[in-house]
Amino acid sequence: MSSEGNRRRRGRALSFGVSAVLLAATLFPVLWLAQISLKTDVEAMRMPPAIFFVPTLDNYAAIFQGRFARSFLNSLVVSISTTLIGMLLGVPAAYALSRASFGRSQRLALWVLTTRMAPPIAFAIPFFLAYRWLGLIDTLSGLLIIYLTFNLSLVMWMMRTFFDGIPRSLEEAAAIDGAGPLQVFRRITLPLSGPGLATTAIFCFVFAWNDFFYALVLTRSRALMAPVAIVNFMNYEGWEWGKIGAAATMIMLPVVLFALAVRRYLIRGLTAGALKG
Amino acid sequence: MRRRERVFVVLLSPALIVLALVTLAPFAFLLLTSLTPLNLAKPATWWDFHRPLANFVDLPADGRFLNSLGVQLRLSAFTVLGQLLLGLGAALLLNRRSRVLEAIRALFIIPMVLPPIVVAIIWKVLFTPDISVLNWILGLAHLPQPAWLAEPRLALPAIVVADVWEWFPFTLLMLLAALQMMPAEPIEAARIDGAGTWQVFRHVVLPLLRPAIVVTVLFRLIESVKAFPLIFIMTGGGPGTVTEATNYYAFLQGFTYSLLGFSAAISVVVLAGTFLLSYVIVRWVGTRVDVE
Repeated sequence: MSSEGNRRRRGRALSFGVSAVLLAATLFPVLWLAQISLKTDVEAMRMPPAIFFVPTLDNYAAIFQGRFARSFLNSLVVSISTTLIGMLLGVPAAYALSRASFGRSQRLALWVLTTRMAPPIAFAIPFFLAYRWLGLIDTLSGLLIIYLTFNLSLVMWMMRTFFDGIPRSLEEAAAIDGAGPLQVFRRITLPLSGPGLATTAIFCFVFAWNDFFYALVLTRSRALMAPVAIVNFMNYEGWEWGKIGAAATMIMLPVVLFALAVRRYLIRGLTAGALKG
Repeated sequence: MRRRERVFVVLLSPALIVLALVTLAPFAFLLLTSLTPLNLAKPATWWDFHRPLANFVDLPADGRFLNSLGVQLRLSAFTVLGQLLLGLGAALLLNRRSRVLEAIRALFIIPMVLPPIVVAIIWKVLFTPDISVLNWILGLAHLPQPAWLAEPRLALPAIVVADVWEWFPFTLLMLLAALQMMPAEPIEAARIDGAGTWQVFRHVVLPLLRPAIVVTVLFRLIESVKAFPLIFIMTGGGPGTVTEATNYYAFLQGFTYSLLGFSAAISVVVLAGTFLLSYVIVRWVGTRVDVE
């Protein structure tokens, strides 16, 4: 009996140990980049690397005095507004999909999944051509619209599964009391959907914020986004490692915080709601 | 009841109209563009439908396109395999009831949520000899310190490593969720019959995991086409065309050489593959599956 207990305890210790090593290996690359942002370029390239060094915020000061500050603001504006518009259009639609029996939900699922999964280049070409004609190249609105290609379907699909989870008995009671469908939605369902709305909004924000490809193809200078602005620190004369590290750290910070907040729903968001996580 | 249905149609229509405008219209436009020799530098090539299938006839004869398919195939196969093995291993490891492990689990998701450009930069830093701590460690062990991204034999494996790191948290989450809802009885029964750990895994756990593994692999396969920022930052498709995956080749044709018609044709081919895989997912697993 006691040898069985010993074996189990040893198995537990072993799995804890291996998990710790795996976690360290997983996080090391991120932390390594973050510490470069606190070093001068000379220090960053020194081997053996200094474990103890006097951290400097010079890189952060430098990037926010240059064009990067503007691009960071651009990224914020576009990500927030595409989230708002996507939610405004998508949430009512998701409610209708959840409560009405339209009967063609499989075909819609395929549509949503395909647009979500389509390689960005397939959208980039027609949007690029249309934007040249419409004068939307290098504009914030142009990016806002193309981000709807993935965010609108994401909102519809994620919110639908959230609404499916809210019991209809409350709504039916209100309807018997004479409330119309719109009133029921606004007064009963929406107030109960807070966590679902917050989670979905965070996903929209993160997907827009993380985009690199569309921003690269559809902007030049005025509508520069933060992920593309980083590329400007990679010159022929050499890479400005410290600034690259600082800019990358700034870009990943909000995403990491948000992601940890919605980690329970990560699967649902990344599979466009096709799987409930 | 009639009135209720009408309200739902009103709620649904704006979203469907916008969705059609931003997804269906571009698909149609892409298809039309792929039938023309559109070259941005030559205005006469706009709406030139004289030889509508010329791009698709040229594709199989384009060595660089065929090379890109090969690169894409190797990239997809090795990244998905790596993510599956690492994710499965980590899921089995973390599948225990414990406060500590639950807290740790949350931290494992970080690579997958990082902006892809940041992932690309992280690995560029680790694989560039000037600044690589990896190479310094290899030097300490008296091992060769290759210029990973400039070495034709090592460039693609380097990108595979970065991609596996970025996305194994996804397979980890999916398989962990499947493990946690697995019924305990068959495992207990096998134990009582004297099966060892490996036998239980091989003959009980693995068969029960199969559906979750299939779905996870399909999702990753589709997404593996999108490794654009890694290639763009780490190698630029080089050295030569060693890391020029199909998606990246389409980008070069369209946005570096301005041959948007030809680029559209490549995109149509990639899109058809994506559609096929999505169709398989929807047919096999339905529109929704519980993994928790």
